[in-house]
Amino acid sequence: MKVVHKIIIGNALAIISIALVAVFSYHEFNLIQDKLHFVEIADTFNASLLKMRLSEKNYFLYGDKSAVLRIKNELVKNGEMIQSLKFNIIKSVGRQEFDKLLGFFNNYKNEILKIETAGSPKSMEADVRDAGHALKRFSENITRLERKKVNKIISASRKTLLYFFCIIIFTAIAATYLFFSKLFRSLRKIEKTAKAISKGSFEKINEKISNDEFGSVMLAVNSMSEELQNREDQLVQSKKLASLGILTAGVAHELGNPLNNISMIAQTYLTLYDKLPDEDRLDYVNTVLSEAERIKDIVQDLLDFSKPKGKDFNIASLNSVIRNSHRLVNNMLHVSGIKSEFDLQKDLPPVFIDKNKIQEVIVNLETNAIQAMSPGGMLFVKTRYKENDKYITIEVKDTGKGIETEYLNNIFDPFFSTKGTEGTGLGLSIVYGIIEKHKGKINVKSEIGVGTTFIIELPVYTLKED
Amino acid sequence: MGSGYRIMAIDDENIVGKMIKANFEPDGYIVEVFLNAKPALERLNEEKFDLVITDLKMKDIDGMEVLQTIKKESPETKVIMVTAFASMDTSIKAFRGKADDFFAKPIKIADLKACVKKLLDK
Ligand SMILES: Nc1ncnc2c1ncn2[C@@H]1O[C@H](COP(=O)(O)OP(=O)(O)OP(=O)(O)O)[C@@H](O)[C@H]1O
Ligand SMILES: [Mg+2]
Repeated sequence: MKVVHKIIIGNALAIISIALVAVFSYHEFNLIQDKLHFVEIADTFNASLLKMRLSEKNYFLYGDKSAVLRIKNELVKNGEMIQSLKFNIIKSVGRQEFDKLLGFFNNYKNEILKIETAGSPKSMEADVRDAGHALKRFSENITRLERKKVNKIISASRKTLLYFFCIIIFTAIAATYLFFSKLFRSLRKIEKTAKAISKGSFEKINEKISNDEFGSVMLAVNSMSEELQNREDQLVQSKKLASLGILTAGVAHELGNPLNNISMIAQTYLTLYDKLPDEDRLDYVNTVLSEAERIKDIVQDLLDFSKPKGKDFNIASLNSVIRNSHRLVNNMLHVSGIKSEFDLQKDLPPVFIDKNKIQEVIVNLETNAIQAMSPGGMLFVKTRYKENDKYITIEVKDTGKGIETEYLNNIFDPFFSTKGTEGTGLGLSIVYGIIEKHKGKINVKSEIGVGTTFIIELPVYTLKED
Repeated sequence: MGSGYRIMAIDDENIVGKMIKANFEPDGYIVEVFLNAKPALERLNEEKFDLVITDLKMKDIDGMEVLQTIKKESPETKVIMVTAFASMDTSIKAFRGKADDFFAKPIKIADLKACVKKLLDK
């Protein structure tokens, strides 16, 4: 369900429950009001009854003739009142009770009216008194009952309202908790993935994608991640192709020498064939073969380098990977008038690496070093390993112009370059990514005008990695 | 034919020197081969050579420097430059004026022979 729908439903439920409470309260208050109204009427009626009974007593005890008149007046007044408030009274006590009340009232009225026609009041006394008494008792009784009912209704409503309140609060809290816990869970997942993506590892959210807005966001994040991954792959590959252009020019020159050697041997072989001793002929042919091998190696290096992402990790010797990479930049060194010195420690333990990627690292670092130097510069490449260490270190050091301190934090960023249109600024960011994938580290030390050293640490291969 | 002429070949690819030697010695040239420019220049100080064939790019000293040194010390020595940079015509032009000739790899030995002959027979 979509979050909007959940919110709408949540709000609708809240409104409905508030409306229910309101209707209930309205109804209860109406009821209370009716009852109170009745009690009010009943009180007046009872007071008037009391007066009538008093007059009745005066009549029978003291023969006060005017008392009968007073009773009659009261009876008329009350009769009118009962008729005019009939509706209210029925509403409160029900028709049955009303009829009974009316019955008792009429009965009493009849008895009083009889007094006038009957000659001796004494014969009437008992009947009148009984009727008055019955009326009074009934009236007082229902008044008391109604009062009780009012109290009951009030306390019942209080309870009901309290329950309502508790239920509403509880469901609100529960719903909010459920809603927000899911919301935060989704947000956390998205946040985690977004962070990973910003660090350059293009993860995806591997969860069941829900059918709400978060699902849409997750899908968007996933496709963004995929797109970024594709873009990065493209960038990496295009940087590689750019490097390949430079390298190929150099490598073509590297091929020039063995080709020339083969050519010269073949020419000599042809022109001097008759005069050549057998051993020389054999030597020539063998040299041709080894020169052809040399060509194959150079071409192979180039092919390896140009391969798109291989992602094949293998056990390898770091020194030989470094030597092969160096063949690719060898000519660049020549052209730039830069000498190089290798200090590769023998008997390095094996490493578990993607050879092509590490080759790319070395080529990028050496290219940067060469580009930072003017003729006469020196490039040093060193490998080191101390027994029981977990890492082999590779150092690529130059005597170039160095890196400004303020740039040191940026050089590994994609597109950071001080070379203008000459550089893509991708070299070091690619290096960084590759070293990270190898669980290695890369550091840089640089001094303006003195030179720069890149230090890479690659984990030594241990059996359990397999 | 080229009897008695002293030729020096400098190239860090040993096969180049070896082949020059193999091709020129039967014609009566005296050929000395060097893999590095430094000992070659030292040798040139000791003895006069009629012609030097040198590579343009070498590990220790640049071929251009070799050319300049030779032309300064003994201007009559002929110098032929060899390079694998067939495309780098800017640098080629720069020294072409000074060098007596220029060859791009792969070297055509017959042409080289003809060139040497022409330069020395003058
Ligand atoms: N050895 C070095 N000496 C001096 N500065 C360096 C060195 N290596 C890198 N830098 C600086 O770091 C920046 C980023 O290097 P990076 O290899 O990422 O890009 P780039 O070399 O400019 O471009 P590209 O690699 O595409 O040629 C360079 O522009 C340069 O300023
Ligand atoms: Mg670079």
